[in-house]
Amino acid sequence: MMRNDYRLRRRSLLTGASAAAVAAAAAACGDDGPAGTADDPVQISFEWWGDDTRAELTQQAVDLFQEKNEGIKVQTNFADFPTFWEGLTGRMASRDLPDVFQMDYSRLRQFGSNGMLLPLEGVVDTEDFREGFLETAKLDGQLVAVPIAGNTLGLIYRADWFEAHGAATPVAGYTWDDYKTAISTLTPALGEGKWGGGDWCAQYHFMELWLRQQGGSFYTEDGSALNFEPAQLAEWWTTSADLYQAGMVPPVETTIEWTEGGLVQDVLASEIGWDNFMAGYAPTVEANGGTLALAAPPTVDPSNLGLYLKPSMQLVISATTEHAEASAKLIDFLLGDPEAIAILGTNRGVPATNTGLENVELDANTQAVLDYEASVSEYLTSPPPAPPAATGAIEAKFMEIYQQVQYGEMTAQEAADLFFTEAETLLAAEQ
Amino acid sequence: MSASPSTTAPPAAEGAEAPTVRGGRGAAKRRTPISRRGERLVGYTFMTPWIIGSLVFTVGPMLWSLYLSFTDYHLILGGDFIGFANYTAMFEDPMFARAVKVTLLYVLLAVPLKLVASLAVAILLTQSRRGIGFYRAAFYMPSLIAMSVGIAIVWKALFAGGGPQDQFMSWFGWEGGGFIGNPSVSILMLVLLSVWTFGAPMVIFMAGLLQVPGELHEAAQVDGAGKWHRFVHITIPMLSPVIFFNVLMETVHAFQLFGPAFIIGGTAGGPAWSTLFYTVRIYALAFVDLRMGYASAWAWMLVLAVGVVTLIMFRAAKNLVYYAGEDNK
Repeated sequence: MMRNDYRLRRRSLLTGASAAAVAAAAAACGDDGPAGTADDPVQISFEWWGDDTRAELTQQAVDLFQEKNEGIKVQTNFADFPTFWEGLTGRMASRDLPDVFQMDYSRLRQFGSNGMLLPLEGVVDTEDFREGFLETAKLDGQLVAVPIAGNTLGLIYRADWFEAHGAATPVAGYTWDDYKTAISTLTPALGEGKWGGGDWCAQYHFMELWLRQQGGSFYTEDGSALNFEPAQLAEWWTTSADLYQAGMVPPVETTIEWTEGGLVQDVLASEIGWDNFMAGYAPTVEANGGTLALAAPPTVDPSNLGLYLKPSMQLVISATTEHAEASAKLIDFLLGDPEAIAILGTNRGVPATNTGLENVELDANTQAVLDYEASVSEYLTSPPPAPPAATGAIEAKFMEIYQQVQYGEMTAQEAADLFFTEAETLLAAEQ
Repeated sequence: MSASPSTTAPPAAEGAEAPTVRGGRGAAKRRTPISRRGERLVGYTFMTPWIIGSLVFTVGPMLWSLYLSFTDYHLILGGDFIGFANYTAMFEDPMFARAVKVTLLYVLLAVPLKLVASLAVAILLTQSRRGIGFYRAAFYMPSLIAMSVGIAIVWKALFAGGGPQDQFMSWFGWEGGGFIGNPSVSILMLVLLSVWTFGAPMVIFMAGLLQVPGELHEAAQVDGAGKWHRFVHITIPMLSPVIFFNVLMETVHAFQLFGPAFIIGGTAGGPAWSTLFYTVRIYALAFVDLRMGYASAWAWMLVLAVGVVTLIMFRAAKNLVYYAGEDNK
């Protein structure tokens, strides 16, 4: 009996093993000869961060691209922002990046300074970009990315609630104190479970704005160090403290569970954020019976709003790609083909190319974003140099440590000191 | 077989039967070394994939990470040898103390609770009842799925503000909201998840319980010992090797908890670092901060710590564990 059992098991093991071997051999028999025809297409990969809506639109545009370029197959993939970067940093170490992928200004140096990005001068079409847009696509003078769209910070607010509850309409030059007054008026008026605004302290971008309004910057010019003192950070982290204590902004216990923004959930009356998000939020807010509007963010100094035009997203080509030409074709198509532009619309922001701007269909909300950018154009100053490679980690640390302040586990000063220790270690690790 | 003619007596019709058998046995004994060597070769040949696998995917990377722990290796930029600097830096790192605290708290809560739960259920499931097989399978089920991403996501929903746990506890005057947003209790989510997966120690306890000799219980019963006394004075001592095994395995596992903690708390161990497990911090150091050398040093410190804890347990076990049939001195 025992013997029979043993034999049976051995036989099935052998069968299994040989089946696995056959499968592996079959998988190894792929064809990857040089190609590029309809019968034998080249395959490139294209990845981005975003939600399902963006994925659907992008896939449509990519399908159209494949239809028009029969020799090129595009393998697409997407994830949400943190997951996307977690995956890509690991793959960067193993030199396994997608051929074409979406880039963020804050990560440009991390990837570009390590020779991971293909220099794009003469590779992609750079003729058609709107003025000023290519500046932020360069790393130490070399073009390594192309912008998809641009954005700048603004205050997105519920015009209907502001009006109904007598809060002053935000205008350019509106101070942080004015904004706090508005929130303090709105929160009690809106009632339980709704707030006049969100806590702005957790975002390093907003602190950068606040520093720029005082003539400062977040990083030093060469990007090797922080350009402010712990005391300034402690001060920044207390700018919303009185509102937070009084329950005028939503508590962290609530926001930690949010999977979408407070404006979309119909619980926030205002939020500082990137202006192009307004167009994304507006349809949902309208469905909830509200109206969104866009104004300049609150400022320290009414004559200096600290704003600059930032590429909201960029496209880059991996330096290790075997199909630079096909990859460049895809980028040119996404940014310059009228049909593709019509499909993609303003999902990633107002297009960075002139062709894009002419061919995109602007609804009222997107028009509002454009109008807003035109209205603050006199305040736009030159962008800071591409932030250091450790910015991604520093941004995460900034939020993480501020959370300690919100939970009352640390004072703003203790948290600021800890942030400096952590950020300096991270910056030193990059040297 | 080849050796048998030389040893067997000349064939004598029927009578030769017995000597042949005896001779055959003797031959088998002498043949053993050769055949064993052959068998060993076959054995190793069949093990090759696993040997290669563990060399390439476990031993190799471990040695590499040991080397990295003495460098300031950056995932992208590379790095240089820096001696013990990573190991000394650890003790000045405020996050180290936090991660150790969270992990120890978890081990101290999860291991005893899980073992008590699994022993209790094992006792129930060793009774002879109709359909006991079904119950055994049913109670084992959670262990098969609990460490999956799906369950971690379900867990998140269960403990969200306004979710089932919040609602249920509110009936009894709880005001802390969902465990997910509350740093003072968030670790309990993971403890509960661990307790719920008592399947593996439960099966081992059941096997141990069935081994406890019935006559000891009978003898004690004759002497008038009640159920509780028999449990404390017979079951527990007889079960002590199994208990020891389970304590050891569960402790080692608990130190290494990663998946659910990572999904529920993220790389930042939210809320407010209350689920910042040691392993989660290693992940964040390696893949968010890209400081591979420092992360490797953390990992080796964990290996060291678990080793020390295991050693202490073995020492303690000498006096606490009773091995039946051995001279326990």
